[in-house]
Amino acid sequence: MIRYLDQIRAIVWKDLLLEIRSRERIAAMGAFAVLAGILFNFSIDTAIVRPEDVAAGLLWMTLVFGGLLGVGRTFHIEEQDNALLGILTSPVPKDAVFLAKVAANFVLLYAISLLVLGVFALFFRVSLDANVGWVILVLALGSLGFVALATLFAAMSAGTSMGETLLPILVFPLLVPMVVFGAGATGRLLGGRPFSEVDGNVRMLGAFAFAAVWIGAVLFRYVVED
Amino acid sequence: MIQRTLLRPALVLLLPAILAVGVAAQESPFPQAQLGQQSLRPYWHVFIAYAIVIALIGGWALSIARRLRSVEDRLID
Amino acid sequence: MTNSGVRRGATALTLVGLVGMVALLWMSFFWVSTEVNQGIVQRIFYVHVPAAWTCFLAIGISALCSGVYLWLRDDRLDRAAMCAAEGGLVFATIVITTGPLWGKIAWGTYWTWEPRLTLTLLLWFIFVGYFMVRNATEDPEKGKRFAAVVAIVGALDIPFIHLSVIWFRSLHPQPVVAKPDGPTLPGDMLVTLLFGLLVFTVLFFGLFLFRYALEDVRLRAELRARRTA
Repeated sequence: MIRYLDQIRAIVWKDLLLEIRSRERIAAMGAFAVLAGILFNFSIDTAIVRPEDVAAGLLWMTLVFGGLLGVGRTFHIEEQDNALLGILTSPVPKDAVFLAKVAANFVLLYAISLLVLGVFALFFRVSLDANVGWVILVLALGSLGFVALATLFAAMSAGTSMGETLLPILVFPLLVPMVVFGAGATGRLLGGRPFSEVDGNVRMLGAFAFAAVWIGAVLFRYVVED
Repeated sequence: MIQRTLLRPALVLLLPAILAVGVAAQESPFPQAQLGQQSLRPYWHVFIAYAIVIALIGGWALSIARRLRSVEDRLID
Repeated sequence: MTNSGVRRGATALTLVGLVGMVALLWMSFFWVSTEVNQGIVQRIFYVHVPAAWTCFLAIGISALCSGVYLWLRDDRLDRAAMCAAEGGLVFATIVITTGPLWGKIAWGTYWTWEPRLTLTLLLWFIFVGYFMVRNATEDPEKGKRFAAVVAIVGALDIPFIHLSVIWFRSLHPQPVVAKPDGPTLPGDMLVTLLFGLLVFTVLFFGLFLFRYALEDVRLRAELRARRTA
């Protein structure tokens, strides 16, 4: 078990180190988040719609699009020198590789989600006084579920001729629960509602994340086998 | 196979006839049943819906039949 | 199961299904009574709900066959999964086209994010994804595996999607409408509905077997072409 965790930790550290050094994905996702916020601001008519009302939904949509942008390139890191083949032929079990990729992507996306939260609070005049701790938890659970599904299908789409363009088609239908429960909970929490009102949502989000990580770990080996 | 290719268009043509008779046979205590005074839109929708059902299922059946025939022809060669 | 055996079963089921379909048409137009609140448009219900049931049956079969395929690697299971998915796509299309036709008259608008309809729309995209991934992969063996994963994950997500859509809908004011599929469904409507479910299921399996037989013959043609080449 220790060895298993060590293997995961090694791959996570490798991916994060690569990301810290190149800052490729985090810069793209971060820029996307801010620019999306700007465009969303211009797309809503503030005479008719209160920005605070739509902020939660737009936040989650930004996470979905930005997340797909970043996670879609998960396996591009290993395209050089056939590095992916190297990892897969190593004695590291495939589900460990998957969990490691999910963990690394989660760190990345979660950091971006906190950035999005801050930026959108600013742009859409959302107060972060109430329930910010719970919102951070909701974002964490949502990010985890998203990353698990996106990583599995990123590996799949990398093996097709359509590549990343296939990713939204495969992943979006599956993300409905995440968006519904996540945006629903976030909207209420930011609106000052008590946590007890959204604990059902949070539980569903947690169940979804758990199921996504587990099923991804089980099925990943079939996606990457030769 | 042949029965189905004949049956499908027959069903499609039969449907408006069925509908017309069915409508005439309907007895409803509500004034909505009085045709001529009421829009026929609901009837249109029902007709189109059932036509879609027949077209899609029949279309799938026909597509399978056509593909089967072409593959079998290839096999004979 | 030999190909001729499959075809005999397919012919039998399809013929029974077609006869049943005619009977269903007769029942839904002549026999069953008109629903009090919605009027004649409610009759779409008798094909809409059976089609929905069938497409969910199809994803279930597809996912099950896909799962066992990944385990046993028997190509016949993959073929079965694909044939089921194709049927599922056809019936899901029926649901999402007949639903708005019903909804426009019954509820005044084409699309109301009704849970069953929304779920079927998302299922439709899962089926489309299944075939896109299969066709976009150069290595056919990889394509089969990818498609199998799509079917399995799709089927497992359905309960989550269903719950989320129901919860989402519960937040919004519902149009006050009679529940045509509630427990208070009158006897003759229930009979027609159940008969419709039976007919659609039989028809689905009949055409599924024909589609499976087609794949079988296609494989044989390919093998022969490879041998003579």
